[in-house]
Amino acid sequence: MHTTRSGRESSRMAAKMNLKEFNLIVAGVGGQGSVLASHIVAEAAVKKGFRVRVGETFGAAQRGGKVHSHVRIGDDIHGPLCPSRSLDVLLGLEPNETLRLALKYANEETLIITNTRPVPSMDANIGADTYPDVSQLIEALKRLTGNVVPFDATELAVEAGNERTMNVVLLGALAASGRLPLGAEFLREAVLSSVPPRTVQVNEAAFNLGHDQL
Amino acid sequence: MSVYEDEPGKRVLMLGNEAIARGAVEAGIQLGAAYPGTPSSEIMPFIAEAAKELGFHAEWSTNEVVAFEVAAGAAVVGGRALFACKGAGLNVVMDMLMTLPYTGVRGGFVIVVADDPGAWYSSNEQDSRFAGLWAELPVLEPWDQQSAKDMTRDAFALSEMLELPVMVRSCTRLSHASGDVTLGEIRRKRNEIVFDKHWKIPYRWNVYGPPGPIEKHRWQKEQMKKARDYVEGTSFNMYHEAEKGSRLGVATSGMASNYVQEALNRLGKRDGVHLLILGVPYPLPEKMVQSYLDKVDTVLCVEEGEALIERQLHQHVNRLGKTVKVLGRLSDGVMPVVDELDPDKVASVLARFLDIEPPPSGEDSVREELSEMVCARSSSWCAGCPHIGSFWALKRALPADKVNIINTGIGCYEMSGYGIAAAPIDAKDTDESKRWRAVTPYEMTDTLYVMGSETGLSQGQYHVGYRDGEIVSILGDSSFFHTNLAPITNAVYNKAEQLILVLDNLWTCMTGHQPNPSTGMNIQGEDTYVPSIEGICRALGVQYVETVDPYNLKETIDAIKVALGHEGGPSVVVSRRVCALQRSRELHSQRAKAPLYVVNENCTGCRMCLWLGCPAIGFDESRNNAAGGKGAAFIDPLLCVGCGLCAQEEVCRFHAHDKVGEGEF
Repeated sequence: MHTTRSGRESSRMAAKMNLKEFNLIVAGVGGQGSVLASHIVAEAAVKKGFRVRVGETFGAAQRGGKVHSHVRIGDDIHGPLCPSRSLDVLLGLEPNETLRLALKYANEETLIITNTRPVPSMDANIGADTYPDVSQLIEALKRLTGNVVPFDATELAVEAGNERTMNVVLLGALAASGRLPLGAEFLREAVLSSVPPRTVQVNEAAFNLGHDQL
Repeated sequence: MSVYEDEPGKRVLMLGNEAIARGAVEAGIQLGAAYPGTPSSEIMPFIAEAAKELGFHAEWSTNEVVAFEVAAGAAVVGGRALFACKGAGLNVVMDMLMTLPYTGVRGGFVIVVADDPGAWYSSNEQDSRFAGLWAELPVLEPWDQQSAKDMTRDAFALSEMLELPVMVRSCTRLSHASGDVTLGEIRRKRNEIVFDKHWKIPYRWNVYGPPGPIEKHRWQKEQMKKARDYVEGTSFNMYHEAEKGSRLGVATSGMASNYVQEALNRLGKRDGVHLLILGVPYPLPEKMVQSYLDKVDTVLCVEEGEALIERQLHQHVNRLGKTVKVLGRLSDGVMPVVDELDPDKVASVLARFLDIEPPPSGEDSVREELSEMVCARSSSWCAGCPHIGSFWALKRALPADKVNIINTGIGCYEMSGYGIAAAPIDAKDTDESKRWRAVTPYEMTDTLYVMGSETGLSQGQYHVGYRDGEIVSILGDSSFFHTNLAPITNAVYNKAEQLILVLDNLWTCMTGHQPNPSTGMNIQGEDTYVPSIEGICRALGVQYVETVDPYNLKETIDAIKVALGHEGGPSVVVSRRVCALQRSRELHSQRAKAPLYVVNENCTGCRMCLWLGCPAIGFDESRNNAAGGKGAAFIDPLLCVGCGLCAQEEVCRFHAHDKVGEGEF
């Protein structure tokens, strides 16, 4: 009978850093880059020697469906899914999706960093449901936790030079929050090394604009 | 990082499916074959990447049984082969799966099946481990990316030791999750490719060859006995002893074992139970199980899927004459009986089992109140999807006063049955009013089961005498080659009147844009011959075959109407237009710009274009409209691809959509 598990080596290294469990969810809509954002964080954490799991949940739609990606780092984690109310950070790329995930996974201590720019759903478009007022969404988030950082990340991405860098704007804010078990500079390097070479400049600008929000 | 990177000891982040592919590469795989099926779809592209570099064959086959047989053929002549599919895909393979083990294999043959508990991407939640039990083959069940890689690698050697295929069972939460993996060495040695007609047994590769199927079945059972030693010794089966005094046990495997270990931690009961983690859930290690059963009075089985370990434990308890109580999915009220497991569900099951307070759940009154606010976000087709045009045309072409039956298969077009804004059906509704409740293209499909079922269902409906409306079968290009040739031949042979609508978008899209015969490209990106769907249908004897462009609504409506009038057998309409996402990528790579559409001042606010179900079209309640009221449609310029469907007369008779920019999408 054996008790050894694979991945021991990484566990030991993580234990040295005294990290038991860090839970992050990146929530958004298909096509916004939430999976990429979560993988950048996860890859960086592997480089630091941590034990890492990433779980992705998305519907059948290729585009426009709800997507959330769980990133878990630390010695005590096994599976790819965060338990409810266990989040250290919720990174929201779309405010309605931020609230959807916050309801299940946030607790009073959770830091919620969210884009305030809505992406209407098909259900809202055809009048089957109503898209909530953004200010009400933010108020709802504030009833769940005292740590809510809302801003228009899409606007900042446009300012940086490309609307599609919105996910990187939010990663900049995440780095500045100090909650991640990785240094801000380490995450910046991870972002810049994983984007196409010709977009490094615009992504760096996006990262910095996000970083300045906290 | 590439899947064939030769750096043993390096730690990398890997998708579960990538780890499975890596395991095969480390084992020196010589052939890989699969048909795409989520959550297994990424396995073969990763293997194909290595195939190109290391020089072996990998392919997308036209369906699962073909893929299985291609891989089996390689293993019969001594090569190491891997076949991968989703749970539902294994059902297509059953004939060969049940028979191949009678002859066994010479080269290692690994069957990877990725189940989908929770039915995220599937029409069922089947536990395919039972196919291993049924076919009498060992089943390995990894719990993370590292074990997925290691088990897939070791499965080849196990298969060669037993001379039998070996099954590796993944599931959505493993295949579509990532984790840190330490790379191992890549085996450079390749098995010799050799054919020996009487290898160890007379007429080895012919189940009927003397001494015949019964003796070959007997041989298989003897081979499975050799698996017993393996399961006693493998480090994939693990035991963690409880603190003194505890007589409680938990037996688990695969993804469920993660949830169990985390829940025990959270409940402060890390050493509270005798924990048995079975990396090989079939067959169970008898000696290990016997000494385990000596330590416990009650065992809770936590499995992702059905009660495979649980049933075997009951059997062992009986065999040993013990009084150990075995709990799990077969006991009333112990485990959830459907849906996938997750950390919360397992924590609450374990808390009940240990008779302690469960961790706080995600629900309370504030959350319940706030959840009302969240707007639904249903799955929809992509902006400009050709299916939007096909379904709009079908809806317009079908007689509105009849109860038509639309039988649909598996592909993006199945979203025509997902429902958005489906009005609840009231008991007081008449047949007439129910018919009119289908308001969007997302409520059109009437029957939906599996790939290829659509064309056969239509025939039964016709032959048994259904005449209250039209009968339609809807399938895609990949489905056409997958399992529709036999049903279409049958429709001609038995004179079944039905409209067969083939939505050919040139790719297998829903699983992530894999090429198929209609694409004219194989998994390695090489050009291939494009068979003519129309030509095949004509050769099979279909008398009416028409081709339309779903971006041309008038043409499509007219062709469907004519096809519906066809008598004496099936009619086929091929609605052909490349997938809008693939077209967008093509334009992007050419740095070409597509036009887009905007809503002009003619909009009356009638909402007709919204019923197309295109995600680029929205409605602004505050805008003035041409009818003198409030509310007008708008088009999101970031989503619009410029397909022009909304601007056609068949959608907007007020000419309220203008094209902006040059060229065609």
